[in-house]
Amino acid sequence: MTSPAHEALTSSFAMTVPQPMFIRRAAVLGAGVMGAQIAAHLVNAGVEAVLFDLPASGADANATARKGVETLRRLEPSPLGAASVADRIGLANYNHDLEALAGCELVIEAIAERLDWKHALYGRIAPHLAPQAVLASNTSGLSLGALAQGLPDALGRRFCGVHFFNPPRYMHLVELIAAPATDAAVLDALESFLVTTLGKGVIRARNTPNFIANRIGAFSLLAAFHHARELGLGFDEVDAVTGTLLGRPKSATFRTMDLVGLDTLGHVFDTQRTQLAADPWHGHFQAPGWFEALLRAGALGHKTGRGVYRKQGREIQVLDPATGEYRLADRSAHPEVVEILKGRAPAERLAALRQSTQPQARFLWRVTRDTLHYAAFHLEHMADNARDVDLAMRWGFGWREGPFESWQAAGWQTVAGWIAAEVAAGEALAPVPLPRWAADPSRTGVHDTQGSFSPSRGTQAQRPALLVYRRQAMPDRVLGEAPGPRRSVFETDAVHLWSAGDDIAVIGFRSKMHAIGEDVLDGLMQAIDEAERNFRGLVIWQDEPPFSVGANLSGPRAPRSDRPKPSAVGTMMKRLRREAESALLKAAHRLNVADALMAGRLEKVEGLVRQFQATTLALRQARVPVVAAVDGMALGGGCEFVMHCARTVAAFESYIGLVEVGVGLLPGGGGLKELTRRAAAEARGGDLFAPLRRAFEAVATAQVARSALQAREMGFLTEGDVIVMNRHELLHVARAQVVALTESGWRPPGPPAPIAVGGRTAIATFKAHMTNLLVGGFISEHDFLVGSKVAEVLCGGDVDAGSLVDEQWLLALARRGFMELLATEKTQARIEHMLRTGKPLRN
Amino acid sequence: MTRQVQEAYIVAAARTAVGKAPRGMYRRTRPDDLLAHVLRQAAARVPALDLAAVDDVIVGCAIPEAEQGMNVARIALLLAGYPQSVAGVTVNRFCASGLQAVAMAADRIRLGEAEVMVAAGAETMSLIPMGGHHIAFNEAVFARGEHVGIAYGMGTTAETVAQRWRVSREAQDGFALESHRKALAAIAAGEFRDEIAPYAIEERRPDLASQSVAVRARLADTDEGPRADASAEGLAKLKPVFAAQGSVTAGNSSQTSDGAGAVILASEAALARFGLTPLARFVSFAVAGVAPEIMGIGPLQAVPKALRQAGWSLADLDWIELNEAFAAQSLAVMRDLDMDASKVNPLGGAIALGHPLGATGAIRTATLVHGLRRRGLRRGMVTMCVGTGMGAAGLFEAV
Repeated sequence: MTSPAHEALTSSFAMTVPQPMFIRRAAVLGAGVMGAQIAAHLVNAGVEAVLFDLPASGADANATARKGVETLRRLEPSPLGAASVADRIGLANYNHDLEALAGCELVIEAIAERLDWKHALYGRIAPHLAPQAVLASNTSGLSLGALAQGLPDALGRRFCGVHFFNPPRYMHLVELIAAPATDAAVLDALESFLVTTLGKGVIRARNTPNFIANRIGAFSLLAAFHHARELGLGFDEVDAVTGTLLGRPKSATFRTMDLVGLDTLGHVFDTQRTQLAADPWHGHFQAPGWFEALLRAGALGHKTGRGVYRKQGREIQVLDPATGEYRLADRSAHPEVVEILKGRAPAERLAALRQSTQPQARFLWRVTRDTLHYAAFHLEHMADNARDVDLAMRWGFGWREGPFESWQAAGWQTVAGWIAAEVAAGEALAPVPLPRWAADPSRTGVHDTQGSFSPSRGTQAQRPALLVYRRQAMPDRVLGEAPGPRRSVFETDAVHLWSAGDDIAVIGFRSKMHAIGEDVLDGLMQAIDEAERNFRGLVIWQDEPPFSVGANLSGPRAPRSDRPKPSAVGTMMKRLRREAESALLKAAHRLNVADALMAGRLEKVEGLVRQFQATTLALRQARVPVVAAVDGMALGGGCEFVMHCARTVAAFESYIGLVEVGVGLLPGGGGLKELTRRAAAEARGGDLFAPLRRAFEAVATAQVARSALQAREMGFLTEGDVIVMNRHELLHVARAQVVALTESGWRPPGPPAPIAVGGRTAIATFKAHMTNLLVGGFISEHDFLVGSKVAEVLCGGDVDAGSLVDEQWLLALARRGFMELLATEKTQARIEHMLRTGKPLRN
Repeated sequence: MTRQVQEAYIVAAARTAVGKAPRGMYRRTRPDDLLAHVLRQAAARVPALDLAAVDDVIVGCAIPEAEQGMNVARIALLLAGYPQSVAGVTVNRFCASGLQAVAMAADRIRLGEAEVMVAAGAETMSLIPMGGHHIAFNEAVFARGEHVGIAYGMGTTAETVAQRWRVSREAQDGFALESHRKALAAIAAGEFRDEIAPYAIEERRPDLASQSVAVRARLADTDEGPRADASAEGLAKLKPVFAAQGSVTAGNSSQTSDGAGAVILASEAALARFGLTPLARFVSFAVAGVAPEIMGIGPLQAVPKALRQAGWSLADLDWIELNEAFAAQSLAVMRDLDMDASKVNPLGGAIALGHPLGATGAIRTATLVHGLRRRGLRRGMVTMCVGTGMGAAGLFEAV
């Protein structure tokens, strides 16, 4: 009776969450911006958290910690998965509440970077810690050896560094650093917790100043300062070529500095300068005069309204380091550089930059050269292997590829030769040769199918053997690394159905942003059929986020998406909404609405809506369970898929919503029907309007949940759906759910019981609400119409309140409402406007 | 024309202090408890009155459901210890419910079919929000477009009045500020002492630490709404709530509130029988309808009607209690009726003192009759606009 999947489960599933150290409750010491955000992420993950700070003098001794929590409610993007979780952070102070530490299995210290303060605090808390508690410092650069000095021996074995990156909810990287006496088992247990419970990407760093990511990141900044001055480039020019063009966050170099805060960077530079006296590049570690001048002037960047950039009225201005004055920030990337970065294969890019005489190109080559030189020189000192450095830069700084990946992609020997030549010519920033391993003439790279090069071991290091990583069926891979095992079942241009050799089928979409067109619907139906015949269940899982931006009503097959470009966290949500809207409109684009109306193609559209509905029903009624594994956006039709699967497994960073009204349409694929059904189920014959209103507001205002937690609160996910903190574990958990469902005797639910609807009374009540918005000038006549159509479908149409309907009734209403809206000039104008400008039209 | 056979006199008037809703002092206090309290306290002010002589208790309530549902009048009068022989009825004319109760009680006496009546009002918006727990509109409201005004929220009607009557944001804010100033001065001068019957609030909360019920008692004896920190700058900063480009804000609208009030009315014969001293004579009452989307100007129709019935002119009035549903409609009404602003709401209005919907008419009647007597004035009026497009006005004369 054992299937392959069952065997896989007994051999790995049962063992993958080792719990030698179960952390029910954690304390965070220091309610500053990092401490409070770490506490927020702990409660996001369901860990009880107590936030400590100094006692306040007033009536409320916990005022400092309270203020830290209040700050969380205002930060954007929000550190809180849902506003309600902030209430779950306990407040405490060092004078009155130290005994609360006894109930904490983990204590994370996140106070200011002062060795004497940290020592004093450790001395104070040590007697109160539970015997098995782990004490971890979120230091960003202090020596763990120095920090551990004076700790009782037993505590020293349970002390280490955990370096979160800001903002800790969104930045994947956590550097884990052993102190001299740390027990290996403590590190393993903490790493497992950080990875699976908090969802972080853990890199073990050696105990060196600034660890890995900040050290390379700071060096790369200092090198940029140097070469920008040498080549006479403006800071805005540097940003124009070091952002998305280069595969870095949109905020590029100097804007990122403003976002991070110049004071924070100043500390990182200071650590580099004071702790790394023997570093061959040490001469370049002094921050330039203009940087010091900004610090002195309190121009710390975004948080103070002025830094490298400032906004004057509507004008963005940038600092001119030569004069100390600001000027209009209007310099852009040179066409030649754009062509090189966008148009050439990776292998040619560096060569072209190096050969160019264009100062921007020369700048990019030189900074790259020095960064690669620096990373290679210090690799052995900082990290175990090259993969750790590359992933640290990707996870901690949002680089699309790590330094060694760039090097390997451009041809290891070629680049090594160039660096060596320029070191010899005295052009590089430090006159030291590449390490022997890097200059080895037989080397073709650092990453291959065997692992990544470890200078200290002289061999290829495999991925860490910790059990927790067995949960990552598809981890972030570095260049050249072997992909996970896939046995293809069938492939079309739109979808790929595969398995890992077990009896669980996995389907992925190949369309851009995983939009759902006719071909995807066909592929999905075929996959369900295949799964019913040959597998125990089906998982919908995409190689990359998003899960899906929704329906693409017609049109040619779009090419497979490129890897999504990283972007600054600060603009993430805005971009998300924009992308959602534009994808939606692209959906309607190929429809070419006007023509379609003329040519009677609306009938075809209605057929597609019908097909979409049939597919969502098929997802629900398949003989085997279909599990949606959501990461990133699941909008419109993507959300409708989610709502119809037997179960959804959602990464914490899932952004789910029905956004169709943004383009003057309504969710026609079954989403409204499902919301109606769920409202009736929730009301259980009681007040139906309250759940209907929640659904109406979510749909009529195109709300997108900003986390899986919020999606559950909004009703897109149910209590039975599963939230996964680490996106790399998503597929594992989804497969586990298929097994759990089938092993529990899962059967398709069949048609739902008759659904009680709000009818004409509830529709009228929604209209009354919208009437006030209309008269108040908050919404347009067309918004009113769209909202009314949403209400009509959601409330079961023009029938008596409390009438009983079935699924087909609601689906037919949705089709009709969708088609009626599509036939309006204003909806068509919205669609066309979105296509032309990428922005929503209010009409 | 009139079939009146006798006069109706107010012999007692009591009210609770008004609490803020939904987070004020009565946030968990039941409206039937507040109502029973004022029924008891009004009776306590005329100890010579045999409550068995009360014919009926008429209670105004704008949203008579849940804690104030199921004919709260009858429930509360029994809880208040009135004899079982006393009947009770709950009436609803939305914001004029309390005044309507007074008028109906007076009319039973004036018609000669009753000698002693109690009129009251009760509303706890903390527990029963505006519109109630289950708003359910009729689709016919939207069927042909002509009844859409029924769907207008009160704030939307205020914006409509502000636009059509050209009431500026500055004027509204100025009016609001003045309401707070007058109310605070009145409280400081003890002007409400006669009418307020302090209520002992008892909150019962779980004390999770000790696993016991923590009882917290406090005395509510002062209106909670007036703000000493109200300022022109503060009011000017508030954003319009009901229209994107509007002028009506939370600061120049009445406050949502909790409270109750009760008055006892008696015929001349009852005065003599029980040896009662009248506070005021009930003179007349009128209601009138206007377009629902401009409900705020309802008093424009109702006030002249009530005056006409009494044979008075506006100039005859010494004291006007004009319910400040919104500064916008108050100013429009005052301007169009040419009211003397110095006679309007001398102790502040609903913007400061609060507006517990159905209770307001009874509460402001108590304010008026005590105020007239205290200041030696004679003629007064309680008037208000009423949701879905109505106005109501009641005239009283101190005796």
